[in-house]
Amino acid sequence: MALPPPVRIENLSFRYRSRTDFAIHNINLTVDEPQIVLIAGASGCGKTTLARCINGLIPRSYKGELSGKIYLQGQDIAGLPLARISQLVGTVLQDPERQILGSIVMNEVAFGLENLGLSRDEIRRRVDEALERLKIAHLRDRQTHYLSGGEKQKVALAGVLAMKPSILLLDEPLASLDPASAQEALEVIRGLADEGMTVLMVEHRVEDVLRVRPERVLFMKEGEIQYDGDPQHLVERVDYREVKLPAPMIMELAIKDPPPPPLNILPGVNGGSVPLVEFKDVVFGYESGPEVLHGINLQIRRGDVIAVLGPNGAGKTTLVKHAIGLLKPKRGQVLINGRDTHQLSVAEIASTLGYVFQSPSHMLFAPTVYDELAFGPTNLKHPEEEIRKEVSQAIEIVNLQGYEKTPPLSMSFGQQKRVSIAAILAMRSRILVMDEPTAGQDYKNYMNFMNSILGMPGFEAILFITHDLDMAVIYANRVLLVNDGQVVADGKPAEVLSDLERLRQCRLLPTSLLETNLQYYPRTQQFFRAEALTHVLASGN
Amino acid sequence: MLVTWRYKPRKSLIQSFDPRAWIIFFACYIACTVLFWDLRYLLVLFAMAMVVVFTSGIRFSEMRRAWLFIGGFVVFFSFLTFLTGRGGIELYTEEHLITRWEAGFTLLGWRPTLTVTAEKTMYAVSMLVRVFSLASMTILIPYSLNPAHYGIIFKGLGLPDKVAYGMDLTMRFIPSFGRDFMLTRDAQRARGYELEKLSGGLVAQVRKLAPLIVPVTIHAIVSSEDIIDAMDLRAFGVGPRTWLEELHYRTRDRLLIGFGVVMLLTSIALSLFGMGKFWVPQFLLQLAAAG
Repeated sequence: MALPPPVRIENLSFRYRSRTDFAIHNINLTVDEPQIVLIAGASGCGKTTLARCINGLIPRSYKGELSGKIYLQGQDIAGLPLARISQLVGTVLQDPERQILGSIVMNEVAFGLENLGLSRDEIRRRVDEALERLKIAHLRDRQTHYLSGGEKQKVALAGVLAMKPSILLLDEPLASLDPASAQEALEVIRGLADEGMTVLMVEHRVEDVLRVRPERVLFMKEGEIQYDGDPQHLVERVDYREVKLPAPMIMELAIKDPPPPPLNILPGVNGGSVPLVEFKDVVFGYESGPEVLHGINLQIRRGDVIAVLGPNGAGKTTLVKHAIGLLKPKRGQVLINGRDTHQLSVAEIASTLGYVFQSPSHMLFAPTVYDELAFGPTNLKHPEEEIRKEVSQAIEIVNLQGYEKTPPLSMSFGQQKRVSIAAILAMRSRILVMDEPTAGQDYKNYMNFMNSILGMPGFEAILFITHDLDMAVIYANRVLLVNDGQVVADGKPAEVLSDLERLRQCRLLPTSLLETNLQYYPRTQQFFRAEALTHVLASGN
Repeated sequence: MLVTWRYKPRKSLIQSFDPRAWIIFFACYIACTVLFWDLRYLLVLFAMAMVVVFTSGIRFSEMRRAWLFIGGFVVFFSFLTFLTGRGGIELYTEEHLITRWEAGFTLLGWRPTLTVTAEKTMYAVSMLVRVFSLASMTILIPYSLNPAHYGIIFKGLGLPDKVAYGMDLTMRFIPSFGRDFMLTRDAQRARGYELEKLSGGLVAQVRKLAPLIVPVTIHAIVSSEDIIDAMDLRAFGVGPRTWLEELHYRTRDRLLIGFGVVMLLTSIALSLFGMGKFWVPQFLLQLAAAG
């Protein structure tokens, strides 16, 4: 008798209890044999909802109206408890912070196996196997909360792999990984599929996933599957503005459209070089822990748009937290407009330097988006009339018009992130610092707000931390490479990013956009986004 | 994600025992301490606590914050009790005045007066020693228990799987809450919010704390939902669970438990015989009589 298909979905529709429209509608999907299936689409397309239906969180944790059938390995999962479904399908969530339970890596990876009641020897063997497989055996006895984002994601994956599910469901697993870690994770996933595991991967970074040759790609839009086929023909059906495609693919598509408007970066600044922030031999370590920053020397000057790149755990966030005085150097000095941060309160610095935190959930509190955005400028004692203008402009930039009266806490993660960025934009600081502004955002949204933020009058310098090399290629006029608590390179993007060996040492991998730009650099003398580059090249010929 | 207390393996008396044995001993110690009000008995228990503290191998700098917070709290309230004379009335019926001090002014017709009696003084001192002994023993626990053992400790003490794991999570909730509070405070400070500059009446001040309280509370609720999902997604509760970590009682652990139980039984017996009640030393009574 033939084995049942690993995944069969029939006429699946779901509407969240609080919404009037269906998040997914009439989905039919059969995965007959072990393979990698990439599920791509912009945020709100229903891809995460589909994933939640498959792993059983819908309808068990998320309530609403569900119809249709899901069979995993031939079993109808409708009546099964979540814990049973979890033995069929292993889920890795986007944010490992929300998934890790154990306090020590060993216990974390063992958690599922302990629940299955396996023998201790079997558990130890499987834990070691999973850790070896992901090349993180050295983390075995470490405490989980001291791990970097990328290490946490690998530990979360190990915890799921150890349970040996026949189906692996990954919901944007690359979001918190540096490019090299992402590539390693993808290669492991490829290996698992080759060994007979069915992998369903929800991801909008299509370019990265295409590198590991998924057998099948689904493109979702407005709750429906728009494309279901091989990766080669995806280009014919997908909107290059909605998901991140490889640069040559975008160029091929974009040449048919009118050229995008040129980027207008920091329009209020003409000429630069006045140092706004200065790090002098900054050394830092947390309380009794080891030294994290070793003698940082750095000037942020007027007109700088700086991308800070580096591997997970390199000290990037620690570095920028010094700029707003949340951390003070153990030795050395940080000067803001010539004044030492030891003598300034964070609130005083906030009027000069706006800092967007990585996680929005730690700051949102107000009953409405308007109040949330007015909080900062009110603290800085801006006049009321001014605040109204600042808030409405900030709302426009992050594309949240019409949400002024919505409680931020009821919004989706992506929207909350945009509210948190707008909350800082509304303060009209002269320098803007953003920690991973694009994490958890879909491609279309973050490209739009990055365009708007960079084009906003009033900023004198912008600095952002990112794992996305393309953000540096497109937006930065200066790149800082941070590795192991030191600035290992600082210069123009074309200089820093052309040293591919050094990028690899910093766990960064050249993207197709960088490679294409480097290829044409002798002609263009400038980096462009793919949509623009194709037109620049066409007009040059 | 839950974080843990600052545990690290140390060569110390407390960590030389099985954590379950220590928890049982700790429970006996607490029960003994609350049975007595006699300073002489309490000083014996206090001495025991100090031995454990000084052999714990934990540097003061590591525990400084906890000590300042709890120590400050204990001293403040003991002093307040001393000033107001509140509390302790159920322990003594008669007071012997040592000295009395009256302010040279009146406030709306009321003249602040401080009466120092032998009983009030002893009550404050006994209270201070009692609470300090309890606090000293308690503060050490989070620094001395391996977080990987939380679950198995409670399981080993006879709790069912689900409750034991629940206790494991609860133990880690407090430091996680602290971490979230700090992150929120930093995020709001970056928006020009200054906790130090709260003004207005009590209600207004509480309202102004919303930027801290709301995100921390919401975060706690959301994280607990995440934790439940994460547990379900990894088959928690399908059947009896294996606990990877194992704990084994050795002779010294059995001796510690035995010592704890004997200490408790002796204390119960003593208090049944009416010993260990509130005690005022003779010299204080003489001082009062002389005054």
